[in-house]
Amino acid sequence: MNTVTPKLMILAAVVAFGLALSQTASAENVSSALRVTLAPAPDNPAHPRMGDKMKFISEMTNTGNTPINGSVAWISLVQVDKGQEQPVDLEDWSAHKADVIATLAPGESHSTAWPMRLIKNGDYRVVISAASGDANGLIASPMLAFQVAAKPVVESARVLPIALGIPFLLSFALLFRQRRSRAA
Amino acid sequence: MSPQWLIARKEAGELLLSGRGLAWLLGASLAMSAFALLLVSSTELSLLDNAQVVYDMLGIATALAALLAMVVGIDAIGGERERNTLIPLLLTPLRRNQIITGKMASIVIAWVALFVVALPYIWSVASTGQNLGAGLLVTVVLGTPVILTFGYYGMWLGAGMAQLVSAYVVGLLTLMVAASPLLLGPALRQSVIGRIFDAINPFSAAVNAYDAVVIDSMSLLSQWPGFIAAFLWLGLTFLLARSRIRHLTV
Amino acid sequence: MKQVQANANEAKNLLSVDCLVLRRGNTTVLNGVSLHINSGEIYGLLGPNGAGKSTAIAAITGLLPFTGGQIRVFGQDLIDSTQAVRRHIGVLPEDAGFYSWMTAPAYLTFYARLFDSNHSPDKIGGLLDLVGLDPSSRQLIGAFSRGMKQRLGLARALVADPRLLILDEPTNGLDPRGRRDIHDVLLHLAAEGVAILMCSHILDDIDRLCSAFGIIVKGETVASGTREDLLSKAAQGARYEIFLEAGDGKELAAVPGVTIASHEGNRVEVSLAAWHRPHETWARLLEAGWPVSEIRKYGTGLEDFYLSVTDTDINQERAA
Repeated sequence: MNTVTPKLMILAAVVAFGLALSQTASAENVSSALRVTLAPAPDNPAHPRMGDKMKFISEMTNTGNTPINGSVAWISLVQVDKGQEQPVDLEDWSAHKADVIATLAPGESHSTAWPMRLIKNGDYRVVISAASGDANGLIASPMLAFQVAAKPVVESARVLPIALGIPFLLSFALLFRQRRSRAA
Repeated sequence: MSPQWLIARKEAGELLLSGRGLAWLLGASLAMSAFALLLVSSTELSLLDNAQVVYDMLGIATALAALLAMVVGIDAIGGERERNTLIPLLLTPLRRNQIITGKMASIVIAWVALFVVALPYIWSVASTGQNLGAGLLVTVVLGTPVILTFGYYGMWLGAGMAQLVSAYVVGLLTLMVAASPLLLGPALRQSVIGRIFDAINPFSAAVNAYDAVVIDSMSLLSQWPGFIAAFLWLGLTFLLARSRIRHLTV
Repeated sequence: MKQVQANANEAKNLLSVDCLVLRRGNTTVLNGVSLHINSGEIYGLLGPNGAGKSTAIAAITGLLPFTGGQIRVFGQDLIDSTQAVRRHIGVLPEDAGFYSWMTAPAYLTFYARLFDSNHSPDKIGGLLDLVGLDPSSRQLIGAFSRGMKQRLGLARALVADPRLLILDEPTNGLDPRGRRDIHDVLLHLAAEGVAILMCSHILDDIDRLCSAFGIIVKGETVASGTREDLLSKAAQGARYEIFLEAGDGKELAAVPGVTIASHEGNRVEVSLAAWHRPHETWARLLEAGWPVSEIRKYGTGLEDFYLSVTDTDINQERAA
């Protein structure tokens, strides 16, 4: 459970963004040569609910004239519900949190699928960021928005008969056994 | 019929038909019922990720089975010795290894019985069916060696400790420590001590694999380090129990 | 599994224990126990509490590793062939436990199968009948009395048709009728060639059943031999009451080998020197014209002998 306050996180994001901007000048050539796009997978559910799976597809393209070495792309997810603004710990959402591209030749594109399972209901924004070992610049994909509808995971109609029935059956078997032992 | 199977059948009969085993299964089912009812009665918990719920239920079933295996293991040697029923068994032409195998087979039977009781619970909370099959598979494949490890550990305690109650206390404390990953938060588990503990703890090997397979949808084969850890523990506890029971005197 | 090979020696001598030594830490529990049991013989092992009888039995059955000496069963070294010989040994340990949730037939069937022996219902029923339990009863063992459990324990010892039977206090908890039944069973088995080693505190059992016996004191065999040999020794040095028709009998002190312990009226209590055989002494008294009306012996010969052997040990201990 993330306990960092939303305001603090927004501040951190602003600072990080400022730092990224300040680095842009020094790494202008590489940064400007790297482009990242992001799109939802076509088979994503139209109205996703908790427990559903979704996938996002990013594409990193080297638009420059020189190869880009040691690029890493990572996924970030932010909840933006009012009063619950916070970055999401992806621990339970996805095991695929980053992708490393050793070399991206000029004009070459690299596509990455980012699967995730929708753990909690809410309003979310997803973005793919990329950085390269060749420079300090940060490239971000366009931000995509999606909403996850709440769904009770545990259905009482399934749980109650089992949770009450099995102890009852075992108690009955135990009593029957004890009665038989006494009779013997 | 092999002598090992005869002993296994006798032990399983004693466990499941004597009332003691049924009481165990009843206790386990009550624990799982309590958790399942908690899930449906609490709004917050009812919105938990389905995979998380399945993971929790598998962890509970494994912890209960490990407890049962350890108690049965202690009783199989220490309990029989205290009730004076071990000597007649040792006076048969059976080798001690055959006796150990027979008694371990009964622990397997107990685990199967508990797993059968746990199955409806797991099904009932896994409403989306997400990673349910993989979860059951990883429980069978990785949970079983971990549970049997506690069975052998119980035999080792039962054979080595003069007082049965001491064996139970030591066993219970060990299991509580081993099963603590179920209760510890991620932050504690990510600390240096937590990582070391996770690396050497057989219970961690199982629950980490459950986490990876059920929650993170990773493949079963990707959990090979956990398999190695679990089977190493199984081998070690088997050797310890065998050595102690071979040299057991009355 | 090694086969138990029959040979001439084995046919005669089923159990040979020579100079058995067993140490636990710095304590010597057994220090030179020896005994030999032949086919059809019932050998009684006697000794005070803590003498090492049960420990000796545990060593003989392979439950306790021993430090020195040798145990040969059916002519084979016990250490080399423990599993092989166990197939032909029936053991009734002292205070043996039972699976209380089983019925007696199920219990015996379980053990018969472990011994890979015939476990037909007829055989199991016959065994239960032999020891005086109802083969058709569905009563669980948990509800058995102590005596019934003792009978069931004997049936379990017999389940694999043993050639050697080792019994630790076999009549514990039995009423006189039960004891008599067990005596009959053991005599019947001995007649069929089964060698029996039994420990008992009940001297009457030993006296009635055993053709040979040994006495262990503090882990050592202090006496052993056939019943005739030992009782003959027991008779020597024993105490007798002699009732005279006339006189106070003080002159009896002049008779060689006779020592007067006390006298009161015409009753004289005497003991005989170890080298004097009682019947020869009494014959000499009568020939000399002593007016003897009655001669009574104190206790049984075995009891006297047992007490004299164990008392000697206790006295030595006190003196030390």
